[in-house]
Amino acid sequence: MSASSRQAILDRVRAATSATAGDHAQLASTYSVLPYPYIHAGKLDAAARIALLVARLREYDAEVVECMGGELPAAIAAQLAASGRHSFLAPPGLPAEWLASGFEWKIDRGLSAEEIDQADGVVTAAFCAIADSGTLALHHSPGEGRRVLTLLPDWHLCVVRASQAVETLPEYFARCPSPPPALVTWISGPSATADIEMTRIKGVHGPRFLHVILVHDEPIHDKEKSPHHSLRLKEAPHFD
Amino acid sequence: MEAQYSDSDRWLYCIAVMRASLFITCYNDTLFPETGRAVVRLLERLGVELDFHPRQTCCGQMHANTGFRAEAFSQARRLVRMYQDVDALVIPSSSCVAMMRDQYPALLDELGDEPLRRQFDALLPRVYELSEFLIDRLGVDDVGAYFPHRVTYHASCHGLRSLALGNRPSRLLSKVRGIQLIPLANIDRCCGFGGTFSVKNSEVSSAMLAAKLQDAFETQAEYCTALDNSCLMHLGGAMHRQCAGMKTIHMAEILASTQDGEAQA
Amino acid sequence: MSHGPADDAIAGRAPGDRPVLDPALAPPFPIAALPVLRNLQLRKNVAHATDVIQAKRAHLVAEKTDWQQLRTAAAGIRTHALENLGAYLEQFEARCTAAGGVVHWAADAEEARRIILELLREENATEVIKIKTMTSAEIQLNPFLEADGIRASETDLAEIILQLGNDEPSHIVVPALHVNRGQVREIFARTMGLPELTDDPEALTAAARNYLRKKFLSVPTAISGANFLIAETGSVAVVESEGNGRMCLTLPRTLITLAGIEKVLPRFQDLEVMLQMLARSATGERMNPYTSLWTGVRRGDGPQNFHVVLLDNGRSAILARERQRQTLRCIRCAACMNACPVYRQTGGHAYGSVYPGPIGAILTPQLTGMRYAKSLPYASSLCGACYEVCPVKINIPEILIDLRAQVTDQERHEAVRLFDPMYLGMRIANLLFARAWLFHAAQRMARIGLRVFTQRDGWIHSLPGMGAKWAQSRDLRGLPRQTFHEWWARRKEVK
Repeated sequence: MSASSRQAILDRVRAATSATAGDHAQLASTYSVLPYPYIHAGKLDAAARIALLVARLREYDAEVVECMGGELPAAIAAQLAASGRHSFLAPPGLPAEWLASGFEWKIDRGLSAEEIDQADGVVTAAFCAIADSGTLALHHSPGEGRRVLTLLPDWHLCVVRASQAVETLPEYFARCPSPPPALVTWISGPSATADIEMTRIKGVHGPRFLHVILVHDEPIHDKEKSPHHSLRLKEAPHFD
Repeated sequence: MEAQYSDSDRWLYCIAVMRASLFITCYNDTLFPETGRAVVRLLERLGVELDFHPRQTCCGQMHANTGFRAEAFSQARRLVRMYQDVDALVIPSSSCVAMMRDQYPALLDELGDEPLRRQFDALLPRVYELSEFLIDRLGVDDVGAYFPHRVTYHASCHGLRSLALGNRPSRLLSKVRGIQLIPLANIDRCCGFGGTFSVKNSEVSSAMLAAKLQDAFETQAEYCTALDNSCLMHLGGAMHRQCAGMKTIHMAEILASTQDGEAQA
Repeated sequence: MSHGPADDAIAGRAPGDRPVLDPALAPPFPIAALPVLRNLQLRKNVAHATDVIQAKRAHLVAEKTDWQQLRTAAAGIRTHALENLGAYLEQFEARCTAAGGVVHWAADAEEARRIILELLREENATEVIKIKTMTSAEIQLNPFLEADGIRASETDLAEIILQLGNDEPSHIVVPALHVNRGQVREIFARTMGLPELTDDPEALTAAARNYLRKKFLSVPTAISGANFLIAETGSVAVVESEGNGRMCLTLPRTLITLAGIEKVLPRFQDLEVMLQMLARSATGERMNPYTSLWTGVRRGDGPQNFHVVLLDNGRSAILARERQRQTLRCIRCAACMNACPVYRQTGGHAYGSVYPGPIGAILTPQLTGMRYAKSLPYASSLCGACYEVCPVKINIPEILIDLRAQVTDQERHEAVRLFDPMYLGMRIANLLFARAWLFHAAQRMARIGLRVFTQRDGWIHSLPGMGAKWAQSRDLRGLPRQTFHEWWARRKEVK
């Protein structure tokens, strides 16, 4: 690497913008007054939010079933059986009762890519689901698996709790931890392409089949705590 | 004829003392004087006291859009000075109005002539494209016109996007007696004129024109109208080349037409 | 459908006749457009694809009630990031380095290629897998690596079509949109040895999946671009559809990300604006199937060697021109080219750049320091459709006009321009417009002069000089006997 190019580029950039180096307080204050007039919090109640999530997931070819908390192990077993597949992967941290009996399970404790590729499917949890775009967000924490785990198998079953569903993308960001997650994968439907004549084809390189189980923790009625996080936090950034 | 106005005599009162100056634009003056005559006939019929500055020439759009900024400066300066005292400036060409609204501010800033910039800022709110003048300033959409023909409306890009004319043209046209309006498909797609683009990129321009003509011909209208003769020159020239039978007409001429025919002023 | 030898020529090109996307070598736009305009199949493919995306985009944008507010926010964030680019680049570098990444700086294409080649040599790489990245096409990375014995394998379906078909991208989001399914079938059947392949898009996609799966599992080095660099965290974000990106980002041992310096966003949370707009604008989807964000290196998950190459290559010079700086806000959604009526007729190759369409028309000449691609600012009718759909509100028509002025200012003092009809005409017109009496005299002269060309029907069917270009497809009505101002003067006399 050329240290001189680094300096040359930064000098040119600073000269171009007449910005001076190191004025971080000034930077934070100009950032804090940027306009952000778009919609932050959703308007739907819990039932409508879930209905939207289900509709949007299905629109992009994900299979969705709903169940109550107590029915989850049975719902997972039913999905696995219906898939006609036999060997499944699970990330560490997935509840033991999710690993239905009668199937071959491998827990990913450093499996090779080839081993992962040979499995029929994978079961994971998620961090959040965004109704507006039908998106599942994985932060690759325990239960969500390494990135490769939800990539190579052709069949992915993702379990999402109703309390994990938000309506808008800004609501998702408000739920994200601080500091932000280091690894993030958003999944919106199975792998797809429209490269040939703009025809959407399911399943190029990622899983061709995406199944979602939506778990209601209690009977559906709006007892949801509205999120009291300030939606767009504007605290000063930390500079090294 | 009086009967046609019966539902809207209020405006007759409102505009009784309206004065306006007409900026006809260089190409309308040279190539489309009938559009200017129609504007005069129309506005005078509506009670506007119309004035015409005999030394007017061009707004500078052609120069500015082709990259001749220095030349555009002098025309912008000339125009702003010429019209600083008018009550209202009416321009029957949406692209020339767009030139003033979109490009004059930066041009005048670059000139660095502060007083001129202030004159322009004072003038700009009084600058109207024809349909804006009728609807926004005169508050009229029924101008008492009669035009018993099948017509399709082409939205010029400047009218559509820069001026955001919205439903003004269709409001005016829909009140014309006898007219049969046929919507044009892909109305937001450019006809391919683009000033010197039509010469510099003649083949691409012609391909865009062909697509627009196809949509126009599908309407089976007798006339294709617009608020900009530049698009119409382009479309009309090709219609004539192809012996298509469809003709072009500036909207001012439709709005100026009345049941007792072409009463020449 | 028949697939004779003629299909060997992608979308009607002569065999071996590869489009030139190097601005220094490409012919001017009006010339480059000619073969495309004659290629009806290609124009049909382009019109179909852009019509489909446009309709989908329009539907989703209409559904989003805060679209204009999102545009305002997006433009604000991107403007702020560019105005403070130095600080944010340094912050990105510090955070990425702290997380185990290595940041390199490349002043130009040559330096970027050299850095990447050295990194690959350290890995003893003979092949590298790639996610679609326009920036690597900008620096012409693939031919450079191949000359050094390193095979650069594209993994995006469209890029495979182009690579196997010896073709070039014509769009920045859907690079092979000028190729139809029959042509894809022919390329795959020939190059993958699959004579039985049908032209069903599902079958074609499956062929690509099988072709690449082994490569993904075996090639230990990958190259990616970046949609965004997050200064706050040192993270990189990549959006994609197929999963080939995730493959390249997670399976190899070593990952090299090439990114233009303008890709920086201040905060992680800024993605809530950008990612609501990007997929909707680009492919007419509420969200693209996969979005990946990673920060340096994570033990046991993904590449253990991670390099970012930050590329200037003309960007800091664009930044220095205040009115044109907004060019760098671009998030490469391609909505402008889908909406562009010029692009719709010509497709991307005529632009002679990896960046086609309206954004290419302003970005390409600026990236070359206004040395090449000077015909591109004129490759627009200034209709404004691009500005209307741009999610970060780049006023492309305004910049096109500015660049035209720059070209004119470069050229106007050249001796040869004295005889250039465009310059001559503009100068004369300026003299006339400054003096009404001269303008009126010229009108009278034109009326007499054009009489020679005016036919009995009152129309002009052919013209000499520049007028011939007009008369190619259009007649011109002969000049009326009386101008408007003459009519007005007479009318006043009569009164």
